[in-house]
Amino acid sequence: MSGVNWWAIAPLLVLSGGAVLLMLLVAARRDTPLSWITTALILAAAALSCLPAREAIPQAVTPLLMADSYALFFTALFAICGLVTVIVSHEYLGERHGENEEFFLLVLLSTLGAVTLAYANHFVALLLGMELMGVSLYALIGYPDKLELPLEAAIKYLVLSAAASITFVFGFALLYAAVGVLDYPGIGAALASADNPVLLASAAMIVAGLGYKLSVVPFHMWTPDVYEGAPAPITGFLAAVSKGAIFAALLRWWMASGLYELPGLLTLVALVAGASMLVGNLLALLQDNIKRVLAYSSIAHMGYLLIVLVACGLVADPHLAKEAAAYYLVAYSLTSLAAFTLLGLLSRASGSKELASLDDLTGLFWRQPGLSLLFTVALLSLAGIPLTAGFVGKFYLFSAGVAGSLWGLLALLVIGSAIGLYYYLRMVYRMTLAGDAQPAAVERPGWPARLTCYGLVLAMLYLGIVPGPLMEILRTIL
Amino acid sequence: MRSTELLPFVVYFAAVILLVATMLGLSWLLGQRRANKATNMPFESGVISVGSSQIQLSVEFYLIAIFFVIFDLETVFIFAWAIAFFELGWAGYAAIMVFIVVLGVALIYEWRSGALDWGQKTRRGLEGAPPIEETP
Repeated sequence: MSGVNWWAIAPLLVLSGGAVLLMLLVAARRDTPLSWITTALILAAAALSCLPAREAIPQAVTPLLMADSYALFFTALFAICGLVTVIVSHEYLGERHGENEEFFLLVLLSTLGAVTLAYANHFVALLLGMELMGVSLYALIGYPDKLELPLEAAIKYLVLSAAASITFVFGFALLYAAVGVLDYPGIGAALASADNPVLLASAAMIVAGLGYKLSVVPFHMWTPDVYEGAPAPITGFLAAVSKGAIFAALLRWWMASGLYELPGLLTLVALVAGASMLVGNLLALLQDNIKRVLAYSSIAHMGYLLIVLVACGLVADPHLAKEAAAYYLVAYSLTSLAAFTLLGLLSRASGSKELASLDDLTGLFWRQPGLSLLFTVALLSLAGIPLTAGFVGKFYLFSAGVAGSLWGLLALLVIGSAIGLYYYLRMVYRMTLAGDAQPAAVERPGWPARLTCYGLVLAMLYLGIVPGPLMEILRTIL
Repeated sequence: MRSTELLPFVVYFAAVILLVATMLGLSWLLGQRRANKATNMPFESGVISVGSSQIQLSVEFYLIAIFFVIFDLETVFIFAWAIAFFELGWAGYAAIMVFIVVLGVALIYEWRSGALDWGQKTRRGLEGAPPIEETP
């Protein structure tokens, strides 16, 4: 440990120290606004601490963590997403009876898990980050503990997540038995020379475990139920941070171990990607609940993202694929956070009831013009309409796919996007319909939440209209 | 490990399945069947069972179990550190101190939020909490 430049892992230290501090604070004084502001400050400090951390990279901090620009980029992204979640959850928790301080503590811990995943360069760190993130999420999903749906969602997520973790760890155990190392570069070196049937089994188990967390077909069954039951800000967090972090960790492993050179694994991932794009989009058509539509669309989005992993193996320079994945993750995180946050705010503003079915959207434009407009932008970005971040992200994926000549997967991407367009625009259409002109007791959300939504939507439009700066950053650091 | 080396393992696996299937199958085929009142009663070493198994336990027991896991695992890590005390030196000492301090904070938190008190009423935030609502 001696000679470690602690600045390299400053965000991790800030987050873990902050969590301990917040726990003491809650023990000393139960005060929701106080914990809310403290958590927001800690997350902002974690995001900002990436700036001085740049001086200390690249550096391996113990064999478990690798501090490089990739880790810092995703750390900043996850910390910002966590910050957004915390800011808007205050609005959501507003009238909840009972203890709300732990909610923020759990978001903090979950973000810490995600950041650990961004740094992970070893299976132990990968597992640690995944469990830290997952266990906090179980509690967050079931946080409205007086309602039936969230409890059901939390139990489902808990049981299935545990099963996935077991599969995943068993896969590691087999891998370790076969090659005798657990760090990414070591595995890459061992895999290149090994020829062992056990490896195939372990690879399949690890892909299944990670596939569950990313909710790709055929491990997607939990997604709609959990998305529907979880509180809206947490659904956004789940979609943006949890999936983003798992994908970031998977991508690093993929690159560091050179897994893209194994043709069998590429075929497997290509099949999973194709099935996710198709099944996700088709099933989204059949839903009449907004959260379930978005859940199935997230399955499809993860399918799009998996194209990158396949493309890595077929392009001359895997860096393009890495760049595409990073851009898409940024766009997708911002967009899904915005969509779920706005959904939460819209339902708050139109009464106590959660906006659930598509029918509830009818005439929303006339009742809530401002928020509906923002929600429309988020939906268009999810659909990948030009001038939004979603379009540039999809374009990036497309160019990565073209570079790898993945015509089959690209055809599915196009078909999927076309189907997607239908159900996203259907929601927009519903909102513009003339509804029953009952100006229900309109409750404007507080300024922090509104400001955050404007910020998210502006960022989405900025990334869609001027993608150059972020592309340049990604090109230099990845 | 080549696939030929796996062969004994597969044979062993098949043998175990076969053995168990034979034992269960033969006793089902050859065994006698009775339909007495006592046949389907759970066997509890001759004691006649009382009541249903669907009883509700206080959630406090769950809390105690969690505390046991937390504070029992703590000793596992501390023992592991103690064995290698001299080899790990000051770095190890610093690491274990961080660990113990975090546990201490957890204990303070539990104590302050009333998790160590027995009984529902003393736990904060639970007074007068409404029962779970049914959602349509």
